[in-house]
Amino acid sequence: MADHAIGHSVPEARPGMRFRLEGLGTAAVVALAWMALIAISAIHRPDFLSHQTILAIAFTMSIVGVLAVGQALVGISGGFLDLSQPTSLILTALAASRLLAAGLDPAFVIVLTLAIGALWGFANALIIVHGKLNPVIVTLATNFIGLAALFLVFQIAEAPIDSGFRAFGRGSFLGLPNIWWPMIALVLVVGFFLPRTRYGRRAIAVGGNRFAAQARGISLRKTRFAIFTASGVCAGIAGLLFAASSGPFTPASGTVYLLPVIAASILAGVSLAGGRGNIWLILLSVGFLSTVPTSLVFFGLSSDWQAIFQGAILIVAVSIDGYREKWVAR
Amino acid sequence: MTDAAAGRPDLPQSIAHHPVRDVVTGPVGSIGITLIVVVAAGLLLIGPRFLSASNITIAGQFVAIPMLIGAFASFALLAGVVDLSIGSMAGVGAAIFGALVLSGWGLAPAIALTLGICLVFGAINALAVVGFHADPIAATLGMLTGLRGATYVIVEAYGQSGSLFAFHEGLFAFTNMLVWSLPLIFLIALAVTALAAIVVGKTRLGRHVRAVGGDPLAAARAGISVPRVRTGALLLSAFGAGLGGILFVGQLGAVSRLLGFGLEFQVYAALMIGGYSILRGGVGSPVGGALGFLAIAGAANILDLSGISPYYVNIIVGGLLLAAVLLDRIRGGDAYE
Amino acid sequence: MKGKSSSPLHALAVVAAATTVLGVGSVTGAGAQDKFKLGMAVGGNPCCEWMKAQGDVARALAEQRGWDYMELSNNDDAATALKNAGIFIQEGVDAVIQFNGQPSANPALAQRFASANIPVVTYDIAQPGFYFVGIDNLAAGLAGGEALGNIIKEKWNCEPDLVISAEGASAGIVNEWRTGGMRDGLKKVCPDIPAEKWVSFESQGQATVGLPAARDLLAAHPDAKRMAVVGLNDGGVLAAINAAEQLGRADEIIGWGQDGAFITGDNVNPHLAGSVFYFLEGYAVYALRDVIDPIAAGNPPPLKDTAGDPASRVQPCPVSAEEAAKVPDMPERVKMLLEAPPGTTEYELFCPSA
Repeated sequence: MADHAIGHSVPEARPGMRFRLEGLGTAAVVALAWMALIAISAIHRPDFLSHQTILAIAFTMSIVGVLAVGQALVGISGGFLDLSQPTSLILTALAASRLLAAGLDPAFVIVLTLAIGALWGFANALIIVHGKLNPVIVTLATNFIGLAALFLVFQIAEAPIDSGFRAFGRGSFLGLPNIWWPMIALVLVVGFFLPRTRYGRRAIAVGGNRFAAQARGISLRKTRFAIFTASGVCAGIAGLLFAASSGPFTPASGTVYLLPVIAASILAGVSLAGGRGNIWLILLSVGFLSTVPTSLVFFGLSSDWQAIFQGAILIVAVSIDGYREKWVAR
Repeated sequence: MTDAAAGRPDLPQSIAHHPVRDVVTGPVGSIGITLIVVVAAGLLLIGPRFLSASNITIAGQFVAIPMLIGAFASFALLAGVVDLSIGSMAGVGAAIFGALVLSGWGLAPAIALTLGICLVFGAINALAVVGFHADPIAATLGMLTGLRGATYVIVEAYGQSGSLFAFHEGLFAFTNMLVWSLPLIFLIALAVTALAAIVVGKTRLGRHVRAVGGDPLAAARAGISVPRVRTGALLLSAFGAGLGGILFVGQLGAVSRLLGFGLEFQVYAALMIGGYSILRGGVGSPVGGALGFLAIAGAANILDLSGISPYYVNIIVGGLLLAAVLLDRIRGGDAYE
Repeated sequence: MKGKSSSPLHALAVVAAATTVLGVGSVTGAGAQDKFKLGMAVGGNPCCEWMKAQGDVARALAEQRGWDYMELSNNDDAATALKNAGIFIQEGVDAVIQFNGQPSANPALAQRFASANIPVVTYDIAQPGFYFVGIDNLAAGLAGGEALGNIIKEKWNCEPDLVISAEGASAGIVNEWRTGGMRDGLKKVCPDIPAEKWVSFESQGQATVGLPAARDLLAAHPDAKRMAVVGLNDGGVLAAINAAEQLGRADEIIGWGQDGAFITGDNVNPHLAGSVFYFLEGYAVYALRDVIDPIAAGNPPPLKDTAGDPASRVQPCPVSAEEAAKVPDMPERVKMLLEAPPGTTEYELFCPSA
């Protein structure tokens, strides 16, 4: 990956263009892997290609996908990793559930929940920017603190059983889950606007080479605040979808999402060093990674063995992608 | 991926400081101060028994194996690759060792085979990360998942109801042995840390590892084989995790399905307090890492003994993490911006 | 780089000096005991509401008796449980209550406590040498399975399309007793369900964590409509029910849970037909009444350390969803328990069939 250092040392007049074209190689690898997986599974069991399978995979994709957008934004802009997503997911889901139970109008609930997510991201950004601390450590610490604090506040929560919100979370639209559509809308919109707006390009520039970006007059502080707040909003969206579609949850229910989200972000070509990554590819990486467990079930593997194969598949996938990146000209 | 960071022109690291002194003194001095504060708080809040041999033994026995694993894994961080699979590697090492002991293997052959298998897993990590240039976080994350599954399978196969009871008389005695009223494994972990510090700070090998992590291009131009150093670091990390797993079996007398689950977070949080970075190589010192472990262990011990509800422990540990890195920043350590 | 520069040796020297100055003492325990000191190690698994409540109830009861009370969390980790044992011994507690979700460490724990002469009460998972206070999980499982069996016999003539088991392998033997027990109980009522209809998924005992695995299982059996669900606990069973809702197949799914965590309150899922209350949060009443109080009075009871012959037996309370509607939520139950006359158990207070 040494060529990135060289490639990014010259600030570009229009970084967006190159940014947009990047990642086609990764897209090809992941898409091929996904197709291969589906094909192998379908050959083994033809009833893999059923609507039920699509629903199952799509539900998994939804929450991971939304969180992956937030994680990717952080990565692309040079913020490395947001390790506090398990907390922000549950914090916002808790808020949504409690507000709904209190009888608030769903529209208000949505707005307030997103605001809480944004607040969390903003708080992280405050510590990062004013302490000039590494976001990895900061979000690791805020996650520790946040989870423990959540555990003091509640142990079990759930969206009200007979609410329209919860019914929404379980329904489908055009054959795909209701909660899938906000996810894809988010991916398409953010992916479209990131390289095409001033703010988006600034975030990419900061991620690619923050000193050059600073030299061009981009405010690092404002970018950091914007990005982490945006990540918090993504967590808020995910929290809403999570509360709507899941059963009763605990403070630690979000921990299980952290590693799959990071894997999806990396597999989508987001470089944790910053400046690289295509949001649209998240659809492919999350889709692929969500299909793996389901197809392993169709192969009749016990859950213990599933973990072995899931790990192996991830290693192989990122190895192929890394190899392609290093040796194949883009 | 860390190469991109290394390519940035004016990171404090690459301006003309004396590399050894700066890398080693900044964070270590800070974490030293943090540890002193923790010790002082302990003596104030708990009293003299905070530093009694009995209390140090309790905390020392708990922190010894993670510290040992961390000392080995820190070389990988230094070399610019992070191995997230150390927790599951310890788990699978424990499971393999436990299964061998149950099947009647002798101690030495069981240890040798366990470590050998862990080295194979480490080699797979190296193949992916160094050979194929896979992202280290994603690749070792895959290994984390895979090895966790392997641990499940072995414990299911050789144990009953999720527990693999593998009590080895000699190893149990060894891991619980006290020397000068302190746990032997704790002293060994400290000794390994000291050895690692000497290697990192004073040997050519250590300089090479830091160079590879700090600026791989420059290291390569200087004739250092970046792939070889990184491969060695990942193998060392796997070795340390396997060793930790074996010691866990000795200490606990059993392997559970979840042994080592989440250990990587515990280890890397402590190492990061001590100045390491999981995304950037070339920074950090083994002594700092050990002090990080001690500071966290000390804080947790204060909370255990002072009757504060256990649910507040993580809040305070998280706060300690932030305070420690903030202190380092204020003292002139690496700024994020 | 501003600030003083110090070498690592300097830092360590300062630490050494500070410790010497401030006094490195020898072992001092907690001193002579006037008051009885009870130590409690809570399970520390964030899965379940009752884990924290177990500690809260024990604390309240200990305070009622004027005892000293020390609480630590096992953090669902074997090494932590071992560390906690060392702390209890050092701090000179007179008795320990533990919930140890990682029983692999129990033999090592038993050895330590035995050499320190500290009696230990353990909840639900037996260990030779520890007083056993808890439920017969196998009997609870059988009771729940039979109840579900009766329902599907009546509704479906014992012909479900699937019988789903929501496993929780990390619970070890408790999983085998409860989930396996439910299967056996169901088989007693409906013995002729063919083998291929019995399927399992790993729920990890939580509704949200097990949800994707449940979805995948249901997708792999796309034509199943009539589904009966048994499992480790209410959470695991709900994972399957919620998965069916998401896949649009919840019309004919019926589950029966264990531990009663989600069968009370306004938010009960209509497909959860019933559960078995253990009233886990109130275990301390049994432990104190039958083991710790006698010990504190200088009269330790005989050591009974198996589930079959326990030091104190907790009665399971199978309930249907309708019956459970009268039972208050866990926080409310804890409040009422602490206001009740000493020695009253939650079973007596709340079980509809008591």
